[in-house]
Amino acid sequence: MVVTRRGFLKSGGIALFGVGLMGGIPAFMAEAAASEKRRQLYKRKRVLVCIFQRGAMDGLMAVTPFEDAYLKAARPNLMMTAAGQGAASGRQGTGLIDLDGKWGLHPGLNAFEPLFREGRLGIVHGIGSPNNTRSHFDAQDYMESGTPFNKGTASGWLNRAVGLLGHDALTPFTAVSLTSALPRSLYGDNPSVAIANLQDFAIQLKGNPAAAQAAARSFEDLYATTRPGLLQQTGKESFEAMKVLQSADVQHYQPANGAVYPNSPLGGSLRQIAQLVKLEVGLEVAFTESGGWDTHFNQGTDNGIFARSITDLGNSIAAFWKDLGGYQDDVTVMTMTEFGRTVHQNGTGGTDHGRASCNFILGNGVAGGKVYGNVAPLAVENLEDGRDLPVTTDFRNVFGAVVDAHLQIANDKLLFPDWNGVKAGVMKG
Amino acid sequence: MRAVATLAAILLATVPSLIGPKRPPYRFPWRQAGLTERQAADHLLSRFTYGATPGQTDAVLRQGLENWFAQQLAADLPDDSLDAMLRPYDALQLTNEQVVGLYPRMGQVAKMAIRDGVINKDSVKTDRAEYRGLIRDYMARKGYKPEQELFRQFICQKILRAVYSNNQLGEVMTDFWFNHFNVSITKNDCAEFIPAYERDVIRPNVFGKFGDLLLETAKSPAMLYYLDNFMSSAAGTGGSAAGPGTDSVSRRRSGGLNENYAREVMELHTLGVDGGYTQQDVTEAARVLTGWTVYPMNEDGQRFINRFSPDQLAKRGFVHEGDFLFNANRHDKGEKDVLGHVFVAGGGYEEGVELFGMLAHHPSTAKFVCRKIAVRFVSDDPPQSLVDRMAKTFMDKDGDIRQVLVTMVTSPEFWAPAAIKEKTKSPFELAIGAVRGLRATVEQPYPLYVWITRMGEKKYYYPAPTGFPDKGAYWINTGSLLNRMNFGLALAGGKVGGVKVGSLNAQEVGLAIGSPANQLR
Repeated sequence: MVVTRRGFLKSGGIALFGVGLMGGIPAFMAEAAASEKRRQLYKRKRVLVCIFQRGAMDGLMAVTPFEDAYLKAARPNLMMTAAGQGAASGRQGTGLIDLDGKWGLHPGLNAFEPLFREGRLGIVHGIGSPNNTRSHFDAQDYMESGTPFNKGTASGWLNRAVGLLGHDALTPFTAVSLTSALPRSLYGDNPSVAIANLQDFAIQLKGNPAAAQAAARSFEDLYATTRPGLLQQTGKESFEAMKVLQSADVQHYQPANGAVYPNSPLGGSLRQIAQLVKLEVGLEVAFTESGGWDTHFNQGTDNGIFARSITDLGNSIAAFWKDLGGYQDDVTVMTMTEFGRTVHQNGTGGTDHGRASCNFILGNGVAGGKVYGNVAPLAVENLEDGRDLPVTTDFRNVFGAVVDAHLQIANDKLLFPDWNGVKAGVMKG
Repeated sequence: MRAVATLAAILLATVPSLIGPKRPPYRFPWRQAGLTERQAADHLLSRFTYGATPGQTDAVLRQGLENWFAQQLAADLPDDSLDAMLRPYDALQLTNEQVVGLYPRMGQVAKMAIRDGVINKDSVKTDRAEYRGLIRDYMARKGYKPEQELFRQFICQKILRAVYSNNQLGEVMTDFWFNHFNVSITKNDCAEFIPAYERDVIRPNVFGKFGDLLLETAKSPAMLYYLDNFMSSAAGTGGSAAGPGTDSVSRRRSGGLNENYAREVMELHTLGVDGGYTQQDVTEAARVLTGWTVYPMNEDGQRFINRFSPDQLAKRGFVHEGDFLFNANRHDKGEKDVLGHVFVAGGGYEEGVELFGMLAHHPSTAKFVCRKIAVRFVSDDPPQSLVDRMAKTFMDKDGDIRQVLVTMVTSPEFWAPAAIKEKTKSPFELAIGAVRGLRATVEQPYPLYVWITRMGEKKYYYPAPTGFPDKGAYWINTGSLLNRMNFGLALAGGKVGGVKVGSLNAQEVGLAIGSPANQLR
């Protein structure tokens, strides 16, 4: 691990001398610059972890305004009552967790309750896109490009965030998506990589590990000796990254502090993100996904499709947080979903595509313990198009605030072109 | 010396009879670039095929480089063995309407199953496995097939054509134009129409006039759904009550004007983002295109429109061509002004045709499209002189794509040292090139697709209308590079399912496929 960090350092150093210091700069300045660089490289990075809940989470079931009489009337089969506080003490599945007399957490999110009470977990309700499309595809596309009215934006907002980190010592692990394909959020010119599984980040040949090992050595030589350029540089980074993961023995990772991740795709992804955080390989932006939110049919209440998904979300994130231990100060987790669902239940025990949903932000820099946003009583005259929870907080107000505060990115204009909103006050300070 | 050579080239080019009746009236200036003829043939094959097969360079040398290229431009070589391989893929010949009938979307199936009482909509307790079982039985009974099967066949044909077609340039151009006019399986609304889109809209027009390609894509269900124009209507005409509508329109009542397609057609298909149009032009163009929608494909929608005779429809300004419908009732009949061109009030379908004519012949379009072609075939950053020359041909020859390609390949920039091995192979090009280079036999194409996806190119699933970026830096990153190496080892080691390689030194060949040199073309 140390060896490879030195590898990154070396490449950073070479770049510095190669480009920046050719023109007769005094040696002491060059040395100072190099040591500065070294310090930066060894510094632990702040990490933003984004979880995209694909399919549109029913925000009104995740975090329910449980006293709202209109909602009760609109959802005769989908409404739970509040079971009061202290649900984390083992009364899972017995009703909503009363957060503040107005809002109730779905019982599947019982692992969130202590984080909320400690002020680390913030919730924004009524969050969504100013573009009122109810197409999954379009809404995800707009949210991930960060430009809700422009389909032609080639880059994703998280990729632009990588470009705005304000330092150039990027490593192969600066921006990592724990998905099989790079998500739209990370499209763009700044280096980012999709890794479905850290174990697969290796030269491998099914049924013939010896041949793979020999090939790895040959490939490394081939790429090291090819002409300088993209292939040589990327090849070098690939092998350095590979060795980091090999030396860390990612296969036998033991989560810390007794954290137990759910045996689910999301649990597996977050577990690997925790590994990357602890390896200190320069991770700054991590992305993963959670599915199963498109609940048109038999959504259920404290049991059923929605309950399964939300329990997985809550337990995965809580396990991740516990596992981080001493790294908690470095990490902020933010969830997002393309839109919410109809206030009324539909004819098949589910809900259809709506407008606003809610999201969760977890971190020690979060001004948590509060449900932010502006949600009026769900009387029909207060609904968008007479059916949906209206969007009262532009997702960019929240994403922008979190990224600015946690990753210290200041240029909102580049992060979200055409955005003129106000940053939501969800972060401390 | 160089002047003499150029003069000779001009003489030869202008007097084709001197060099035989079959030789096309142009010569490639590879000698002036300092290449040997063999190097020139290799370069030609690297740009206009999915990779040379063993012995193909020699074949091109025997045939003559210009002759080979002209034959590829004609794209009429017989492909009997490929056709035979494609025959078992029974979904590939279906019309859009047949696809809708045979491969209904899962949402539709669930609705029908509820309507037919197979699934009880009130049964909240149904578990997932039981639900899936019920749906599966229901589909089998009704003769419906899963949509995934349609896409699987479509993907398999893409790979088989790329590997085996003798008309390689036709395949490369189909890929190029599909990506230029990208649509995506990730968008449910348009997904089922994509196989016919490639087959009927893109493929037949890849060497034709750009304007035809543009108009055909504009009228295709895939594009109309992908960029939402199917629902765009003049304010106050939404819904089916206004007259014959489409199933899609009555299902999802239109909210009026939708600018998505109008914007992207200018930004991505024609003028380019710096092509000199304004937001006002976008809005006005969207108004011109109101009413451009999809002809209803189910009985409900057709029953509605069948109340009117073709004559009655025509009299009302409706236009029905194949899957396309111009719904005059939803058209904004006011005056519009796009790029300074005024469409007087009271117009209909012809306004859109005129708009596409304007866009197809605009100098910004010529530059934008020609640059993109040069990026595909010459280098990630092609010389402006080359783009300008191609754009001039584009303007002079009514957007004739063959002529533009000839201008490109007869230009010195195409053969310049800066262009040789400059392009990074996309994962698809790497995989197909390796299969062709080894003369491997593809018995089952899908596992190759899985590998191509793993290397970062999930064909037909790129979500954004920009299409895949065509530059090396997009394809090469730490993760994708390791996967490229692993692909080489797997293919050479006979571990890519469905692909048979002959006897070879697996280690050596695997290294060669994954080597830096082989990532370039």
